[in-house]
Amino acid sequence: MAALSEEVLLVVKRVRQRKQDGTLYLMAERIAWGPEGKDRFTVSHLYADIRCQKISPDGKAKIQLQLVLHTGESTNLHFSNESTALKDRDAAKDLLQQLLPKFKKRANKELEEKNRMLQEDPVLFQLYKDLVVCQVISAEEFWANRLSINNVDHSLSNNKQEVGISAAFLADIRPQTDGCNGLRYNLTSDIIESIFRTYPAVKQKYGENVPHNMTEKEFWTRFFQSHYFHRDRINTGLQDIFSECAKQDEKGLKSMVFQGVKNPMVDLLSLEDKSLDEGYGSNSTAPSTSNTNKTVKENSNSAIIKRFNHHSTMVLAAGSGKKACETSSTDGNSRDSDFFQPPIKKVKIQDVIEYEDLHRENGKKTVALNLKKSDRYSHGPVPLLPQQYTTSQDIVNSVNCIKQEIASYKPCLTQVMSSSTASCAIAALSPGGVLMQALAQQAINQMVPNDVQGELKHLYTAAGELLRHFWSCFPVNTLFLEEKVVKMRSNLERFQMTKLRPFQEKVQRQYLSTNVIGRGPVWVRW
Amino acid sequence: MKLNIEGLLVYFPYDYIYPEQYSYMLELKRTLDAKGHGVLEMPSGTGKTISLLSLIVAYQREYPLEVTKLIYCSRTVPEIEKVVEELRKLMEFYSKETGEKNNILALALSSRKNLCVHPEILHANIIVYSYHYLLDPKIADLVSKELSKKSVVVFDEAHNIDNVCIDSMSVNITRRTLDRSQANVETLQNTILKIKETDAAKLKEEYRRLVEGLKEANVARETDIYMSNPVLPDEILQEAVPGSIRTAEHFVGFMKRFLEYLKARLRIHHVVQESAPQFLKDIFEKVCIDRKPLRFCAERLRSLLRTLEIADIADFSAITLISNFATLVSTYSKGFTIIIEPFEDRTPTIANPVLHFSCMDPSIAIKPVFERFQSVIITSGTLSPLDIYPRILDFRPVTVASFTMTLARTCLCPLVVGRGNDQVAMTSKFETREDFAVIRNYGNLLLEMSAIVPDGIVAFFTSYTYMENIVASWYEQGILENVQRNKLIFIETPDAAETSMALEKYQEACENGRGAILLSVARGKVSEGIDFVHHFGRAVIMFGVPYVYTQSRILKARLEYLRDQFQIRENDFLTFDAMRHAAQCVGRAIRGKTDYGLMIFADKRYARADKRGKLPRWIQEHLTDGSLNLTIDETVQLSKHFLRQMAQPFRQEDQLGLSLLTLEQLQSEDMLQKIAQIAHQA
Repeated sequence: MAALSEEVLLVVKRVRQRKQDGTLYLMAERIAWGPEGKDRFTVSHLYADIRCQKISPDGKAKIQLQLVLHTGESTNLHFSNESTALKDRDAAKDLLQQLLPKFKKRANKELEEKNRMLQEDPVLFQLYKDLVVCQVISAEEFWANRLSINNVDHSLSNNKQEVGISAAFLADIRPQTDGCNGLRYNLTSDIIESIFRTYPAVKQKYGENVPHNMTEKEFWTRFFQSHYFHRDRINTGLQDIFSECAKQDEKGLKSMVFQGVKNPMVDLLSLEDKSLDEGYGSNSTAPSTSNTNKTVKENSNSAIIKRFNHHSTMVLAAGSGKKACETSSTDGNSRDSDFFQPPIKKVKIQDVIEYEDLHRENGKKTVALNLKKSDRYSHGPVPLLPQQYTTSQDIVNSVNCIKQEIASYKPCLTQVMSSSTASCAIAALSPGGVLMQALAQQAINQMVPNDVQGELKHLYTAAGELLRHFWSCFPVNTLFLEEKVVKMRSNLERFQMTKLRPFQEKVQRQYLSTNVIGRGPVWVRW
Repeated sequence: MKLNIEGLLVYFPYDYIYPEQYSYMLELKRTLDAKGHGVLEMPSGTGKTISLLSLIVAYQREYPLEVTKLIYCSRTVPEIEKVVEELRKLMEFYSKETGEKNNILALALSSRKNLCVHPEILHANIIVYSYHYLLDPKIADLVSKELSKKSVVVFDEAHNIDNVCIDSMSVNITRRTLDRSQANVETLQNTILKIKETDAAKLKEEYRRLVEGLKEANVARETDIYMSNPVLPDEILQEAVPGSIRTAEHFVGFMKRFLEYLKARLRIHHVVQESAPQFLKDIFEKVCIDRKPLRFCAERLRSLLRTLEIADIADFSAITLISNFATLVSTYSKGFTIIIEPFEDRTPTIANPVLHFSCMDPSIAIKPVFERFQSVIITSGTLSPLDIYPRILDFRPVTVASFTMTLARTCLCPLVVGRGNDQVAMTSKFETREDFAVIRNYGNLLLEMSAIVPDGIVAFFTSYTYMENIVASWYEQGILENVQRNKLIFIETPDAAETSMALEKYQEACENGRGAILLSVARGKVSEGIDFVHHFGRAVIMFGVPYVYTQSRILKARLEYLRDQFQIRENDFLTFDAMRHAAQCVGRAIRGKTDYGLMIFADKRYARADKRGKLPRWIQEHLTDGSLNLTIDETVQLSKHFLRQMAQPFRQEDQLGLSLLTLEQLQSEDMLQKIAQIAHQA
């Protein structure tokens, strides 16, 4: 049995499922449960199929673990060993917690990858429609040796693309009352990751404190109790471990503000040509921004506003995969290459004053080069051995040399082809000649309407695809391959029956007079 | 292309032209022909600047003796830089078309850092700088007073020009100012003593000059070399500096006495408001300071600083401020008010006395400009109602026109949301603005819009405090959480650097497809200076009507003045002021014909004719009866429909012949008639 070869990671006895005692096995790729006294599993789920796990709250009499599948179904497991139930459940939970994300990512990635391939490649999509949607072969067979090839090509670009963070992830942690004047927050690994990515300071705290100073649960409890989580915090108590985070955030925000903006068109500081001296003007009584004469409420309000700006900035940065406070020096304006770039400001201004519709559209739109280091582009690589380079004098000399050669060139007429061979070649290349037989096919091109041609093309590629599967089974040296060859043969036959025959008949009906049909079977016969 | 504007050959550096640009140039030319002033409104994004530059440069080339200079004033540094770029483009086109080397000298002053350009200014054909260089007498005297009479002055983005005028003539004096002035006076005293020991002749020479009076300046003004300076009134030019302040010591003593008086005035416990004559009467009774020497203060101080060869005048800004105040208060009996407040209204326990000497009449500062230059053009995207500017700036224009944006597709969609889905009226009216239902409905509107509008949404509030309160209650109600599901939220803060960063991040979020909302404030820096083109602003929501804070005493005094002097009713002015700011805010989203955006006015009061009627014509004409007093649901429906339509491809061919013309199309008789017809609907 396949299960024998599987690695069993955890075995938990006395686990009830549907009021039946049994044993729970956690294996490398799946979780399974079998009733006591029987050597088969009545429950078995691949980790990739599991959407999430849920546990019963602490203090409940029944200690349970629920597995929710992507299909929406769920399985409840009741840990019934009185003395160790809680420990058993937590062990299972922890292990699942580690395993599930791995499989989840893989499953999602595969789906995404398939989707992307279908979208990008219309031929493949057509093939998919012809073969899978029409049930000639199954989806797994279709993807079986496709994905692996392409995985390699795209692994690079795949690694780069990170999934962004929802701006409202904190809102998704809806607190619920637990019935006795307390609040319960539901955290998933996604949310935790979002918190870490958005607030690196919290991640740092987590690393510092868990597990040596406090348990994970305690950490998050404190997090939700802290003023840090409640954004209108002002008087963060000193005992709060997150008060430092708030300070760090503040610092980060300040340094970002200090760095200023790269786009001069949004720089409000340089907006005005400050001409009014101090003491002039009628608006000098505008509310002062000093904190001294602000009420507590106003302070908390402005704290909220700051927090929103900070939160959005961090979420944005986490999504784009770079640190918020990091100035990107890859935008062509790295410090040392400033000199070679048109100032960014000028470019922006020219952008703004441009009325594109007032211009006559002149052909192609050019794509701007995205240069990481513009100075290297404008100067080229620095030569290691400068003396190997041709000087301009050399070039001029050689050009002159070539000119002279050409000027004094005399064709050597004795060594040309004989007239008979020449006329032979011309005949072969003229319409009707040996080398021009393709022309006949051109006639067919014109005779047959495009949709029939298109259909033929689809059939051709579909057949090719099936044959590829067929031939990939050889040499047939395993049992599995033997089965596959048989299956592919039947697939091919099915394809002939359901697809090719009808097409052939259709073409015969419509183009009886021409010799198209004659060619048809040639294609189809194998 | 080369255009023929009523016989004038105009080089226009584009292959096509908008019909309204043609009309604009036509009106502009007529204004220049008549040597008069003009008020022209044309939406931003229709190429106003290039039209202005093309026509005036062409005019200058054609009639070099009639118009010698173009003085182009704009508001912000980026605006000025944009003008310079457009000018450069025009010049390139000229040299390409005519083949001759460009012989026009243009000069841009965009910061006080580069102020030492005095001789160049006189030779430049085109000068581009900020309003202040012409309107602020302190700077105008240094930079602009010798500019030729035959100049054309353009004030672009002029919808706030009255406030610039008022700011440049208003003075605020705090205890700190007085303390610093005190220190200045002492420094002056010491320097005078020192000079007396070493170089007494210098002071004598100054005394002699002062006896002679300010004759030089007078001659210059009479012979029309200089633009007049509102701080240097005509009368004092003909007189000698009064004996009581002629010697340096006497003048310093005089200033000391004046400072003591001001200090005493700041020692109060209740608010005092008085007119300039009342102030003069009081100062005469208390410390025997006469009106006449006060009037010479500014000039006398300048002369002293020159004589003492003081290099860094910035150190003496406090005493200069006081001397300017002395001159202004004694020169103008009308148009100014003095308000002394012992503390800020918000913090009645903290003493912080301020003397506001506030100008209420914008025409005082701009008067020399209208008098000196033959053509002054006031232009902006939002100048409605057009007749109010000539009234408050006190001038008689020869042309007044508003041009709309001709559109091949209706790319703007103004909607007035008056009610929530619960039928509760939506308004920022003072009595109901704290109302829970109103705040919730505003939140729901934002939430619904965040779900249907792609990319960027900009929302404006009537004031910063109001925004703070609303954001706090939205946060408590969990509305912002839900908004965050759709878009990132960025918020303007009073700190400009912080806001700049938020703005940049906002744009980044719009750029990478995440979408974002910017919460901002009308009358703030963002609403006045930042454009939200294309996906940076697919919808603008104006929460409430942005009335100015009406409880301020300065504003009340100004309103009274407007009523008494210009017969402008308080409410009319306040509404005008609110609507021009609302128009500025919503106009931020549409910057051109290829752009599109929703303009959502979230206050039922916008539906009223007196508010609606004060919006610029190019917005008003798209505001139909069907788009007034909507509920949130209706707004969402209309918006969805609009956005879906706008998302369809829009090509140049769709515009051609309608809102975009080739030279041939422009030359056809039919088209010219059509253009004239559109232009005259105003």
